[in-house]
Amino acid sequence: MSTDTICALSTGPAHGAVAIVRLSGPDTLAVLNHVVANAPVWQPRRQTLCTLLDGTTVLDKALVTYFKAPHSFTGEDVAELAVHGSPYITGRLLEILCKLGARPANRGEFSQRAFLNGKMDLLEAQGLCDLIASGNRAAHELAMQQLEGKLSAYIDRIKTPLVELLAQIEVRLDDAEDELAPLAPDYIQTQLTHILTPLKNLADTFSVGRLRKEGLKVALVGVPNSGKSSLLNALVGFDRAIVTDAAGTTRDTVEETLELNGQKVILTDTAGIRKHALDIAEQEGMRRSVRAMQQADVIVWVTDGSLMLSPEELTLWQQIKRQGKRTVLVRNKTDKTSVPLDLPADLQAVPVLNVSCKTGDGLEPLKEFLTRPQAAVNTPQGLLISNLRHYEALLHAQTELETALLHAAQGGEIIAEHLRAALHHLKDLLGEVTPDDVLEIIFAQFCRGK
Amino acid sequence: MFVCPDKYEVIVIGGGHAGCEAALSAAKLGARTLLLTQNLDTIAQMSCNPSIGGIAKGQIVREIDALGGAMGRVTDISSLHYHLLNTGKGPAVHSPRVQCDKKIYQFTYKHLLEQQPNLDIMQDEAAQLCTDDNGICGVLTLRQTRYHTQTVILTTGTFLAGTIHIGTVMTPGGRYNDMPSNLLSQNLREQLQLPMARFKTGTPMRINARGLDYTKFRPQPSDTPPWTMSHFTDIATLKDRKFGQCYVTHTTLATDKILRENFQRSALYGGNIHSQGPRYCPSVEDKIKKFPEITSHPLFLEPEGFYTEEFYIQGFSTSMPEDVQRALIASVPGMEKCTITRPGYAVEYDYADPKDLYPSLQSKRIPGLFLAGQINGTTGYEEAGGQGLIAGINAAHYVQGKEPFILRRNEAYIGVLIDDLVTKGVNEPYRMFTSRAEYRLLLRNDNADLRLTPIGLTLGLLDKKYAQPFENYKHLCEDLCEGKTPQPDLNLGPWRAENAQRYADIQHKYAGYFERNLKDAEKLADIDNIKIPEGFDPSSVRGILFESAQKLREIKPQTVGQASRIPGVTPADIQLICVHIERFRRLKNAQKTA
Repeated sequence: MSTDTICALSTGPAHGAVAIVRLSGPDTLAVLNHVVANAPVWQPRRQTLCTLLDGTTVLDKALVTYFKAPHSFTGEDVAELAVHGSPYITGRLLEILCKLGARPANRGEFSQRAFLNGKMDLLEAQGLCDLIASGNRAAHELAMQQLEGKLSAYIDRIKTPLVELLAQIEVRLDDAEDELAPLAPDYIQTQLTHILTPLKNLADTFSVGRLRKEGLKVALVGVPNSGKSSLLNALVGFDRAIVTDAAGTTRDTVEETLELNGQKVILTDTAGIRKHALDIAEQEGMRRSVRAMQQADVIVWVTDGSLMLSPEELTLWQQIKRQGKRTVLVRNKTDKTSVPLDLPADLQAVPVLNVSCKTGDGLEPLKEFLTRPQAAVNTPQGLLISNLRHYEALLHAQTELETALLHAAQGGEIIAEHLRAALHHLKDLLGEVTPDDVLEIIFAQFCRGK
Repeated sequence: MFVCPDKYEVIVIGGGHAGCEAALSAAKLGARTLLLTQNLDTIAQMSCNPSIGGIAKGQIVREIDALGGAMGRVTDISSLHYHLLNTGKGPAVHSPRVQCDKKIYQFTYKHLLEQQPNLDIMQDEAAQLCTDDNGICGVLTLRQTRYHTQTVILTTGTFLAGTIHIGTVMTPGGRYNDMPSNLLSQNLREQLQLPMARFKTGTPMRINARGLDYTKFRPQPSDTPPWTMSHFTDIATLKDRKFGQCYVTHTTLATDKILRENFQRSALYGGNIHSQGPRYCPSVEDKIKKFPEITSHPLFLEPEGFYTEEFYIQGFSTSMPEDVQRALIASVPGMEKCTITRPGYAVEYDYADPKDLYPSLQSKRIPGLFLAGQINGTTGYEEAGGQGLIAGINAAHYVQGKEPFILRRNEAYIGVLIDDLVTKGVNEPYRMFTSRAEYRLLLRNDNADLRLTPIGLTLGLLDKKYAQPFENYKHLCEDLCEGKTPQPDLNLGPWRAENAQRYADIQHKYAGYFERNLKDAEKLADIDNIKIPEGFDPSSVRGILFESAQKLREIKPQTVGQASRIPGVTPADIQLICVHIERFRRLKNAQKTA
């Protein structure tokens, strides 16, 4: 039986309506009880509607099913969390589960556990082996690319000083006659800080990296007939959404994935939001619009630049504001006569762009705005990480090094424990560092022995 | 040819630190054992430094002792100086080291072997191992005597085709003035086809202390109060011991100059030695060559015994010609008037690639053949002793049809040592360091008994009379850790209450870290418990990387844990192997029922 608890998205990465995140392992219940608000007493195999927490805020509503070992797919304690199918929600949920003690599953690991616990027959095992094998090759190729690529050069800025500091500590621990002066705590602190800075910078790129990989979610919102669909079409370059002059044409949300300035962007055209929806279908459309805003990274609020802001639009603004997302106000139809803007005080901080979907004027600044990095990227050449496993590793390593920093005045064997743990966490990124690698440095740099 | 009528179960070839532990443990476990050695008077000889223990090595001695080996007890009987190393650092790296009287050590050990039931000792040189379809079946000696046996433990030290270098002078020898074993070397290479290669090591000169000016040195007195290396030594026996003294001094610019002017005359740099020596134990010419910026290297003067003026000079290992060695001695303040009694030298010898061994130290090629000590590419009395003990146990188990005995990396330095050897092999003589142990905080000298004495008792290496006192000591430790008032008047036997208190203090100091280490160790145990079944070849698993398959073929790991520690084997490889083992198991079961 496994000692650790794994988690993964078990539905595909496409944006379906529902995504399922799975947990399996001995800590399943403990993790579940932390992520679910007011966790109930779990009835095995019964679906429960729960609120998932991201710290103190709500992440999503989810249908959660708990399976008690051995009556589960893997034969271990398992939980299935059915959440809304947004890459943001599933990505964030996995991050939270990992913070609570689970770890990202290796490819095929759920099935592997199922097989080892007798829950899968021999025929099925072949597919599982193929799956693991393809992951093995892919990871190997990725590692090779990293070894040659720019990530490797950057990683060296973390690895080299880390291994050297460990060697300096280890050589003293194995120094029988105390010939080497002890390392001063402030020297250790300085070295650790030098290691921590690039490490943190790399970890910080994860949010950007994830967006790069999964795509920046942009919600186009506005009152009916403000020209959201026209804007979508202008950005996409062909008529994807149905554009008519009758207000309220787009009742469902329309999603389009495109590349803007090298950045993957998922545009969601939402039903026009109006206070009094005309019919039931439109009400449903609006509900979806609100959800699209909740899941978006950026909100593009489209208004008709030839008109003044209507009371409806000012109500919509209150809803947009509540999301706390990065927002841009696009004044569409500026090829028509543009009226001067008279914005309420709380709208002053929102950037305003004038766009004409007909002539294409103002589209470039909009594209630039959408793809502008949202977090500072402090790594050279815009180096990014987008893999949750790497991110987790960096966070764990960071914690170890920060603990080492606190213990800099303690014994070398304590600091070494943390440095070793940090190196262990980073082995997917740095390659494995063995005692022999450390001894190599010791023999090269220190004259040791009798 | 004389065919000895005795039917031995275990024959140990070589009476050094590995051979002695091997012979004792095999005999203690009831195997009919013979120890073959060239010379009875050099049994358990300390060929190099006159001390037992040191960083990480002291921990190994405590482990050998806790399991029921002899090294620690013999050390205490012959001790002349105690020094607990690294006391300025954390308790995890405190390492005991004891200077011994070499002669007392040897003869004490010899006497111990002579008294051991089931063990015969014979002075003769093994020349050939005899094999049949089942593996080992006998040993043929130089005197043309043939011994019958089911297993052989090879503990040949530096004797296999040993060559001694002093300057440009090369002489055959396993140790200075002792003949090498050339026939056996040839037999192992040619008939048995063991994967042999050469290593080099060296030793410094010994001097007569008569001319020393002690005012020029910093004395290193023995620790007060004294402690014992063995868990079983009555400390009262040390009460009247007259402890000796060690001294520290340094090389000078003059030493430097002499070495520089004579580089080409050393065996190492003159071109006579091609094999790899230990980088952590460099000769003094090596130090000057590799670290030219350091102009003064420390030297440690260690007495060779109670009844001799000879000193061993740690730090002065050299293969320079004799005249240069004289000049070197004269270049050190306080040693100008000394004479050399035996020159330092380098020795080259055969070792066998330890990747060819199972973790039981049994050869993968020849059933019943076990290898321990320097022949496996290690250095050090302690590393040798640890392997000898394990090889002795496993040879006895082999004969008795029992499971191999293997220590895990989280249980003992001995476990780390053997796992490293058989999984990664060696590219220089292997010495233990605390940095090699991932569970360093768990593997301490102060808890070797708590870790391993239960195993020693179960195996039958330790006298049953220790069982109850050990249980009492263990409870005392636990009570103190939990802050309970211990039961008074417990019979602790040789164990001491103050050690339990120290253990509890350490436990407290490292509390959070132990939990981490133990958790990691549990994970290790999980995969170390998955044996690779007989008939299952992990290298043939489809989908594992090509490089991994090659290494798996070479190492033939015994458990999934061992496979996972082979450099380059990926986690996905291990996943695949786990799935295929389960598949293999089910197919086999299906066959059985069908």
